[in-house]
Amino acid sequence: MNRITKSVLWVVLLLILVFYPMLFGLYFTNIFVIFAIFALFAISFNMLLGYTGLLSFGHAMFFGTGGYATAIALERIEGLPLLPAVLIGLVAAIVLALILCPLLVRVSGVAFAMLTLAFGQLMHVLAMKLRWLTGGEDGVGGFPIPPFNIPGVVSIDMTDPIKFYYFAMAVLGISIWIVWFITKTPFGSVQVGIRDNAVRIDYLGFKVPQTKAIILIMSSGFAGIAGSIYALFQNLISADDAYHVGNSFAPIIMTVVGGVGSFFGPIIGSGILSIIDEMTSRYTERVDLVTGLILILMIMFAPGGLTSLFGVIREKWFGKKSDKTAMEGDS
Amino acid sequence: MDPTTALYVAQGIHGLSYGMVLFLVASGLTLIFGMMGILNIAHASFFMLGAYFCFQVISMTGNFWVSLLVAPIAAGFLGVLCERFLLRKVHAYGHVGELLLTVGVAMVILECVKIFWGTQSLPIIIPPVLQGLLKIGGLEYPIYRLFIIVLAVVILGIMALLLYKTRLGMIVRAAVSDADMVDALGINVPVVFMLVFGVGTWLAGVGGVAVAPILTVYPGLADQIGMDAFVVVVTAGFGSLKGAFLVSIIFGMLNAYGVQFVSQLAPVLMFSFMAIVLAFKPAGFFGEIES
Repeated sequence: MNRITKSVLWVVLLLILVFYPMLFGLYFTNIFVIFAIFALFAISFNMLLGYTGLLSFGHAMFFGTGGYATAIALERIEGLPLLPAVLIGLVAAIVLALILCPLLVRVSGVAFAMLTLAFGQLMHVLAMKLRWLTGGEDGVGGFPIPPFNIPGVVSIDMTDPIKFYYFAMAVLGISIWIVWFITKTPFGSVQVGIRDNAVRIDYLGFKVPQTKAIILIMSSGFAGIAGSIYALFQNLISADDAYHVGNSFAPIIMTVVGGVGSFFGPIIGSGILSIIDEMTSRYTERVDLVTGLILILMIMFAPGGLTSLFGVIREKWFGKKSDKTAMEGDS
Repeated sequence: MDPTTALYVAQGIHGLSYGMVLFLVASGLTLIFGMMGILNIAHASFFMLGAYFCFQVISMTGNFWVSLLVAPIAAGFLGVLCERFLLRKVHAYGHVGELLLTVGVAMVILECVKIFWGTQSLPIIIPPVLQGLLKIGGLEYPIYRLFIIVLAVVILGIMALLLYKTRLGMIVRAAVSDADMVDALGINVPVVFMLVFGVGTWLAGVGGVAVAPILTVYPGLADQIGMDAFVVVVTAGFGSLKGAFLVSIIFGMLNAYGVQFVSQLAPVLMFSFMAIVLAFKPAGFFGEIES
C-alpha cells in the first residue's frame, strides 16, 4: 500500500471519528467511548504481554487507581481543572507501579501473573476497606466534572456527552499514538528482544530488570489514563467496577481475541467484545458465558488471535506471504 | 476456664479449620502447577462446583454423607474432562495459553452455575450428628469445625502416603521435577497429568463440600477462597506441598485472629505477609522455580 492510499485511509478514519456522533446518535456514541477506553486499556496491557512477554493478571489495579485518583481529586480539591485531574490519575497509576516495581521486575512468566493478580486483589480489598477515602462499596461518584478550559481562549462544558466524546477521543487517540510511536523506537525493539530472549538482551548490554520496570511504568501510566477517562465518563468509580478481577481479565481477553503481539490486535479485540457485549446483553444477562466461550475457542483454534487469522486466510486464499508487517495491520 | 481463653481457643479452631480447607484447595493447585506448569485459574471454580454439587445431592437424597462422597468425585470428573479435552489441546502453545484457557473455563463455570442454581445463596444444614458443641476440659469446640480438621487431616494423610510410599506417587513426584525425563522412561505422562488434574480438582471439591454448610453456597464462593488459595501458593513457592501446608495454617490463623483484633485490616494481613515474604524470597518460602 503506498503513501497516498495510506493518508487517504487516515483522513477517512479521522472523518468517521469526527462525524460519528452525528451519524450514530448518542447511544452508540457512549458505547464508542467505552470501546475507546478499553482499547487504550488493552493496548497498555499488550505493551506488557505482546511486546515484553509479561502476563499481567492485575492490570485493573492501574486502571482503577487512575480512576480513583481522578475521582477523589475532583471530589476533594475545589476548582481543579480537567487536564490536571487526568494527570493526577496518570501519576497515581505510575506511583503504584513504582512501588510494585522492585517486586515485579524480578520475576516473569507465571510468577509475574500471580504476583500481579495478588496485588490487584489487594487493591480491591483496600478500595473496599478504606471507606473514608474510597467510599467502600459505593465508590466515589457525583463529583463535579470541570469544563475543558484554556484560560482566555475557550471553555467547553464537559457534562455534554457529545463534547465529552471529542475530549475522550483526543486524549485516548493521542495516548494510543504515543504507544504506537514507542513501539517503533529502538526502545520498542529492546522490549520485543526481552520477550524473545531476555538472556541475549542482557548480553547485549541492556539492563533487563530496569527496562522491564520502565515498560511496566509506561504501561501502568496509560492504563491510568484509561481509568481516569472512565471515571470522568461514568462520573462514578467503584471497587467492583475498577478493581474487580474481571476487569483485569477484560484486556487479556481483548488482546487474545484481537491478536497478541500485534499493535492493532487489542483495538480490534476491544471492538469485537463491545459488539458482542451489545448484542448478547439484549438477549441474556449471561454475557460472560459468551465471552468465556469465545476466549476458550480462540485459544484452542486461533491462538494468534484474529489478526493472525487474517494473515493465515490471506496466505491460503490469496497466496500472499503474511509477514510480520502484514500481521501488524499497518500496511 | 475464663471467657478470654475460651475465645482464643475458639478462634484458633476457626483458624485451623479454615487453614485446612485452604490447604485442601491450595494443595491441588500447587500439585497441578508443580507437575504441569499450569496455574489453574479455574481451580476455585471446581471448589465452588463441589459446594453446588453438594447442595444438589443433598436436596435430592437428603444425605450429607452421600454428597461428601459424590460431589467431589463429580467435580474431579469435570476436571478430568477439562484437562483431556481442553488443556491438552493447547499444551503446545505454552503456559500462557493454558493459563488464559483456564480463565475462560472459570468464566464459563461461573456463568453456568448462575444459570443452573441462580445467584442467591443456598443454605446447607449441618447434619445432626455434627451439630452442637463438644465439651472437653471445660472448653467448648464446635463439632463441625473439628470434623473439617479431622477430614482434612485424614485425606491429606492418605494423599501423603500415596505420594511418598507408592510407585504411582514416585512417578508423580518424578514428573513434578522433570516431566520430559519421565516421559522418556516410557511412562505415559499425559495420563499421569490427567490423573493429577483429576485428583487436584477432587481435593478442591472436597474443600467445597466441607465449607458449604458454614459459608452457604453462592456464586462468589470461588472468588473468596480462590484468591486466598492463590496467595498461599505464591507465598509458599510454586509447587511446594510442605510450603502450602505451612502457609495455609498461618493464613488461617492470621484470618481468625486478624478478625478478632484488627477487623478492618484482616484481609490485608495476608497480602502484607505475602509481600514481606516475597520481598526477601521472590520464589516464595520453599520455591525453587525462578521463572
